[in-house]
Amino acid sequence: MLSWIIFSPLIGAAAILAMPRNRENLVRWMAVASTAVPFLLCLAVLAKFDRTTAAIQFAQQVAWIPPFNIEYYVGIDGLSMPMLLLTVLLSFLCIFASWNIDKGVKGYFAMFLMLETGMLGVFCALDFFLFFVFWEAMLLPMYFLIGIWGGKNKVYAATKFFIYTFAGSVLMLLTMLAMYFTSEPHTFDLIKLAANNPFNTHTISLLGWELSMSKVFFIALFIGFAIKIPSWPFHTWLPWAHVEAPTAVSVILAGVLLKMGTYGLLRISFPILPQSTIWAADAMAILGIISILYGAYCAMAQTDLKKLVAYSSVSHMGYVLLGMASLTTAGVNGAVLQMFNHGTSTAMLFLLVGVLYDRAHHRWIVKPDGTKGFGGIAAVVPVYTGFMAIAVFASLGLPGLSGFVSEALVFLGAFSVPKFQVYVLIGSLGIVLGAAYLLWMFMRVFLGPLNEEWANLTDMNWRERFTLVPLTIMVIVFGVYPMPVLNLMGQSVAKLLTIIS
Amino acid sequence: MDLSLVQNLIRLSPEICIVVFLVLLFTLDSVFPKTRENKVPFILVAVGCLIAGGLTYWVSLETPSRFFYDTLANDSFSAFFRYVFFFSGAAAAYLSYGSKDLTPPNRMEFCLLLLCVIFGMCLMATSTNLLILYMGIETVSIISFILAGFKHEDLRSNEASFKYFVFGALASSLMVYGFSWIYGITGSLNYTEIAVYLQANHASLPVVLPVSLLLIYAGLAYKISAFPMHFWTPDVYEGSPTPVATFFSVAPKAAGFAAFIRFFLDVLTVKGETGTWQLMGGESALWFLAILSAVTMTVGNLSAIGQTSTKRMLAYSSIAHVGYMLMGLLTLEAMGLGAILFYIIAYCATNFGAFWVISVVSDIKGSDKLDAFRGTGWSMPVLGVTMTIFLASLAGIPMFSGFIGKLLLFGSIVKSGSFMWLAILGVLNSVVSMYYYAKILREMWLEGPEASRSSLSLYNGIALVGLAIPTVVMGLWFTPVLRFVESSIASIL
Repeated sequence: MLSWIIFSPLIGAAAILAMPRNRENLVRWMAVASTAVPFLLCLAVLAKFDRTTAAIQFAQQVAWIPPFNIEYYVGIDGLSMPMLLLTVLLSFLCIFASWNIDKGVKGYFAMFLMLETGMLGVFCALDFFLFFVFWEAMLLPMYFLIGIWGGKNKVYAATKFFIYTFAGSVLMLLTMLAMYFTSEPHTFDLIKLAANNPFNTHTISLLGWELSMSKVFFIALFIGFAIKIPSWPFHTWLPWAHVEAPTAVSVILAGVLLKMGTYGLLRISFPILPQSTIWAADAMAILGIISILYGAYCAMAQTDLKKLVAYSSVSHMGYVLLGMASLTTAGVNGAVLQMFNHGTSTAMLFLLVGVLYDRAHHRWIVKPDGTKGFGGIAAVVPVYTGFMAIAVFASLGLPGLSGFVSEALVFLGAFSVPKFQVYVLIGSLGIVLGAAYLLWMFMRVFLGPLNEEWANLTDMNWRERFTLVPLTIMVIVFGVYPMPVLNLMGQSVAKLLTIIS
Repeated sequence: MDLSLVQNLIRLSPEICIVVFLVLLFTLDSVFPKTRENKVPFILVAVGCLIAGGLTYWVSLETPSRFFYDTLANDSFSAFFRYVFFFSGAAAAYLSYGSKDLTPPNRMEFCLLLLCVIFGMCLMATSTNLLILYMGIETVSIISFILAGFKHEDLRSNEASFKYFVFGALASSLMVYGFSWIYGITGSLNYTEIAVYLQANHASLPVVLPVSLLLIYAGLAYKISAFPMHFWTPDVYEGSPTPVATFFSVAPKAAGFAAFIRFFLDVLTVKGETGTWQLMGGESALWFLAILSAVTMTVGNLSAIGQTSTKRMLAYSSIAHVGYMLMGLLTLEAMGLGAILFYIIAYCATNFGAFWVISVVSDIKGSDKLDAFRGTGWSMPVLGVTMTIFLASLAGIPMFSGFIGKLLLFGSIVKSGSFMWLAILGVLNSVVSMYYYAKILREMWLEGPEASRSSLSLYNGIALVGLAIPTVVMGLWFTPVLRFVESSIASIL
């Protein structure tokens, strides 16, 4: 079942590549079909998913490379299920958001579907080698998606993304190999590695220094994942990649790819290296706080709408890191929920920015020459403004919308750890800053006197509304009643925390 | 073990087959000059390599043994390298027909010389005697000088040949001088006898032995283009006709590694428990190799960054790959050597493919500069996709064979636990290499679609797809290759 979910987009990609070049609409509908299949399958999985257990479900385990004990081992638990849902939903919606792509249509959708296979694979893989292969399988499609279909500085952005991510993953590669050769018997199986937990007593010698193996592993993995999250100070690729990427790719980047960093920490670092996790909790919390504040401050200074949203992602992923570092039930639940909620709300923001850019062909809040980019457009595009208002309020954490629940849980969890209380106090400034930059943006773009230049702006069409409605519903529903998602992951989070403590 | 003459000759049959085809081709050329114009020479090379490959399989079924008075070895390790040489020989001949760098009469000569080189390389891989090794190396070198200078009217080609020659003369004189020292110390040229003597007495030879080994290293390093004997590589690759450069970048290097591994394992190590061994000279000798490996990969990668000619870029990248492969020697166990062999297979298909693409593009555009690649991905999708696969594999991205090669090499270092810094340097180096490989990708895809659709000939398309398939398959399912490599290594332990 999971294998079908993972590989159906890839089959679709192959089919698209085999299609004639001039049948562009056929290609588009094929892409819709190839993302709809995993979406529907995923809903079926969700229906059968047992929320009362932390065990691995829907597992499939086949020997792949016997000499190295490498297995094709996929399965899901409460941590992967929300991410899986987010991935299939956003991918499906993003196909519609990329309807306007007219250059190299075949290549675009094929790359997009390959990317989806890579993402789904990462969230399902339970073998470190398989995880790594899927993790890297996203690299080339993403490089091309940004580099070919991106904006003005696409080449620089794509190259920067590529090098950063690759640098992070080679560290992961070394750690993976070292874990394999240290474990007895040698295995890449993440579940077995977590169960045996063999790395605490070992040391590793590097140019004459004897270092604790589990701490070295944790740091190496953390750098790899932190680049993806991205946590300060590894975030510099993100504004470039997000801004230059086409709308749908920005959505996937912010909505799904960033979550892989935190998911990787929860899936690999935390359970396999529990002692080092406790050792590093403070550092992670501090990095989280810095990301929250730094991301928010940078966002406030942006005059480009998309760059503002990009920096807001840095800030929001900081909450995830803070919640995870607290190692409390509320904090980790909040962190996973925040991963999910940020996925929906930031996807909305990027989609909406894309909608505006399609019409205005620029997205300046304040143009480089100092004049206003927009202003008062709420009067001409009411539907658009409505969607934007929901997205903005969800993102800044207004009670009743999804962002509030997860941020509250994160702070609740972190505050219950005595030594983190001061971090929480500093971090809560982030909420104020978040409200500031988002509302200030909203004010300058949508409110005030109408900028006559945009008097003829057309409101959203049905395709665009279709991409936003599901996300809006989720943002509202999970803001009022987040239990469906929390129930999904509750058992797995509880199990993770018992391993660590 | 005493063998009759016939038994000895049987074990040499793959090489004899190559010589027979060489003579056949030569006769054909003199009697029917018209064959120069058609594909007969290529077909003969391909058939010769195929038959020689079959004979190799046949003789590899025999129990591993030394023959001709212990000067040559017949084991799976020889067989492994013979397959590599025959494959790259046939592929190079095929390539020479798709390339505009060689004119029809040249192709005949190219095929002739190619067979000579294959013969020499087989000697290098099978020899267990310093004199035979030297003969093998010289056969390869001298023919290579001619091949590099194949385009008589081209200044760069002449320069390439001259540089190659001067460097080669220096390297082989150093090496043969080293051989003479070894002979003076031990009184023998056969590996087995040298090893027996050295194992008893190496501790009492504090200066003489390291110096003579250093001299020999100079010669071998020249063949595999490792630091500090790598300077000729970019100039020669750039100046030589592309099919020749393609061949140079793979086959003689593999031969150099074959000779290196055999000499290293037979002469310089003291066998310990199964699958592990000690190196004479101990820790300091290992550090020497580790530093050479580190410098080779770093110099190769850093020099490649600034290149605008893709041929030069890949030349430097090939130096870096040699640096990675040298890591496999440090682990002192079978896995490290197996990793080198796996890397050679992966590198063979991948690098052949990458050079092939350069050959096709420079034939169409008349230049091998980076900007000649602009938009080629869009105008020739098959070429673009296969080149993407080749470059990703060279950079070591998963799903492609180059990644598995790196995985095994780094894995063997990590497993041994020592020289972790080298593994870290190695992965950082692959990030650097990613940067310049991405430059080619960028030109091919990111700089927008090209208006004109130039077409890729079916002839080249088949070759590219044919090389891309093993690159992908070996990246996803490498168990059989791994078994094959392990058995080849096991036969010389």
